[in-house]
Amino acid sequence: MATLFEGKSPAPLHDFLARFVRYATQVCAYLNLAAEPLPAFDGKPGYPVDVEIEPPVAQNRWTVAFRAVLALPALVLAAVLVGSGNFVFDSVRSSGRLGFAVLGLAAVFGWFYAMFKARMDRGLRDLIAYALSYAAQTWVYLLLVTDIYPDSDPLTAIGPLPTRSDPVRMEVTDELRRSRLTVFFRLALAFPHLVWLTLWGVVALFAAIFNWVVVLIAGVSPQWLHRFLSRYVRYQLHVSAFLYLVGNPFPGFVGAPGTYPIELHVAGPERPNRWAVFFRLVLAVPALLLASAFGSALLVVAVLGWFAALFTGQMPLGLRNLGAFALRYIAQTYAYALLVTSAYPYSGPCLEQ
Amino acid sequence: MSERARSLARPATLALIVGAGLWAWAAVALWQSTELPSLDLPHLDPHSFFSDSFLHRSATYERFLAILGLLGLVTVIAVLVVYARHGHRLVRESAAGRVGTGMLLAMLGFAVVWLAEVPFGLVALWWQRRYDVSHQGYLPHLLNSFLGLGSQFVFLCLGIGIAMGLAGVMRRWWWLAVVPAFVALAALFSFVSPYLIPDTSSIDNPALVAEARALERIEGAPHARLREQEVHRFTDAPNAEALGLGPTSTVVLWDTLLRDGFSREEIRLVLAHEVGHLAHHDPLKRLGWLALFLLPAWGLVALFTRRRGGFAQPEAVPVAILVLVAFQLLATPLLNVTIRRQEAAADWAALQATHEPATEKAVMRKLATKSLSDPDPPFWAYAFYENHPTIMQRIEMAQAWEDQRP
Repeated sequence: MATLFEGKSPAPLHDFLARFVRYATQVCAYLNLAAEPLPAFDGKPGYPVDVEIEPPVAQNRWTVAFRAVLALPALVLAAVLVGSGNFVFDSVRSSGRLGFAVLGLAAVFGWFYAMFKARMDRGLRDLIAYALSYAAQTWVYLLLVTDIYPDSDPLTAIGPLPTRSDPVRMEVTDELRRSRLTVFFRLALAFPHLVWLTLWGVVALFAAIFNWVVVLIAGVSPQWLHRFLSRYVRYQLHVSAFLYLVGNPFPGFVGAPGTYPIELHVAGPERPNRWAVFFRLVLAVPALLLASAFGSALLVVAVLGWFAALFTGQMPLGLRNLGAFALRYIAQTYAYALLVTSAYPYSGPCLEQ
Repeated sequence: MSERARSLARPATLALIVGAGLWAWAAVALWQSTELPSLDLPHLDPHSFFSDSFLHRSATYERFLAILGLLGLVTVIAVLVVYARHGHRLVRESAAGRVGTGMLLAMLGFAVVWLAEVPFGLVALWWQRRYDVSHQGYLPHLLNSFLGLGSQFVFLCLGIGIAMGLAGVMRRWWWLAVVPAFVALAALFSFVSPYLIPDTSSIDNPALVAEARALERIEGAPHARLREQEVHRFTDAPNAEALGLGPTSTVVLWDTLLRDGFSREEIRLVLAHEVGHLAHHDPLKRLGWLALFLLPAWGLVALFTRRRGGFAQPEAVPVAILVLVAFQLLATPLLNVTIRRQEAAADWAALQATHEPATEKAVMRKLATKSLSDPDPPFWAYAFYENHPTIMQRIEMAQAWEDQRP
């Protein structure tokens, strides 16, 4: 009410709410293993995983009046990223509705990793930090602390990102422009691709089993088989990018390299550890679970992006980048599961070399 | 040698003339393969079979739908003309190469047509609901229609992929190669079509199954599967169809026919009609007609797409869609003539098998009443929309059969 009448949040109220959001973020970061020290109880800044909240500024009264409605899309996205209450348990509880929340799964896998290695995995840590960052942005928007809409861009959410050169890496040259006609009919247009992808997937499954046997015996994947499976993973990426509006143009049917603005670069066959190959399916389970959580996020990106692109003719940068991030992880997971690479999928946001 | 004589002497022109002759010969042979006795149908007054109120109601109902259909067709053609002029700009929305881009343009063409047809479809549904012919809701109608677009696109892409692939490999006569490829595809679809019909189950009535087997023996039809399709949630109209090829030959009876006041004799007569189709190998003959109609259709596509660099180029696809749809519209009355002949022959076969003209008349009256079909529609609507003889023609055939019985 105060913000609606005065046009900006009163300073004491703003400070109180900002502290609350900061404290909640710190507690969640601690609980989900993104940070080590126990946070203080007063929500003061300075925690290793923290949020920066600007002092109160004038807000548009219309957006204040309809804030609860305007925040709905962000709340939906936050729900798939962090669950409903930012706790690990929410991930399990929400699994029946939205699939696993990204944050909860990352925390569970991080717990095992930290138990064995006595340190947190960088990718998982950054992923948790990103999810918390989005949740914090959503809360400060909903609580009228700011009128800046939450930005889902993983590349700008959490400080400096590592620059990586993985054997399976993605390159994004998409221009954000979207054709309204192809956006409106996106699902129907993707149908032939989905049928073809399913047929190709059946063959790829048998090829992967054959590849598994060959790599166990010979120690390395044959060039032709590696190329075939790489193409399948790339094609899967192209189709998903098109379907979920991460990319604009209609993709080709053969997964040819260098043909799509959401591109997958795959290094040649390598000599993996035979034990890691033998247990590949078991080892891939955590990544596959996390990939399914990313899939839920991708679905929300597509639905929100569909409306945005239909009205504005553009895909919002933040949504596009979140979609690309999810697609990269899913592609790396498939590549790992199908023995295209021995590099485990990197779960955090990163810059590609 | 005159210019005209020189033109006739060209091998391509000669080939076209010989081809046209062969086409005509095949069409006549196919037409004559459906045997129908030359009957002088008696002219019967619809008022003797239907009440004045029904005739008025059905005529009003069907006239509205026919006019709406015509308006829809005009809109579709107008939309496709605009798409043929400007659709090639959508090439920039594709990263799929030559053939993939052609597929995209074809899909977008049909997507635009779908959009243009939405209002007409909704109005038609409103009209059917108003006359209690359909029970479908507006949202499910839209949703089903939209999702149907997806499966339509799968076949469209397959067709465009084959045609553009052949057009890319063969320079001038690619359209001749497209026809057998499409007919093979249609044959495959016809073969598997009985398995693609939703909500079907086997008929567990032993008496009906025994009657079907007996009719197959009488009419000389191959053994067919007998299935019941559940449609009563969407419509009250009764119907049946014969489909499949060889071992997949199937007769599908709608549940609205089996459970909605039709007597055992009436169901038997409908069954005899469908078995008649199988006995006459009508599904196979339809493939023959398809081949004959596809030849000039793709020939025209080859002709009209030359200015856009030929059908091998994706920019030509919007023009090709316009040509194909326009050709289909123009050919529909002709195709209807061929199908009506097959339907009449199946009617005759049913009468010969059952010897029950009175039942045939009763069935036709019920079919008309339940589907609200105009028994005697105006000629233009008959020519364009009816691929069955009219209800009155079918009743007249039953009368003719009765009259010629010794």
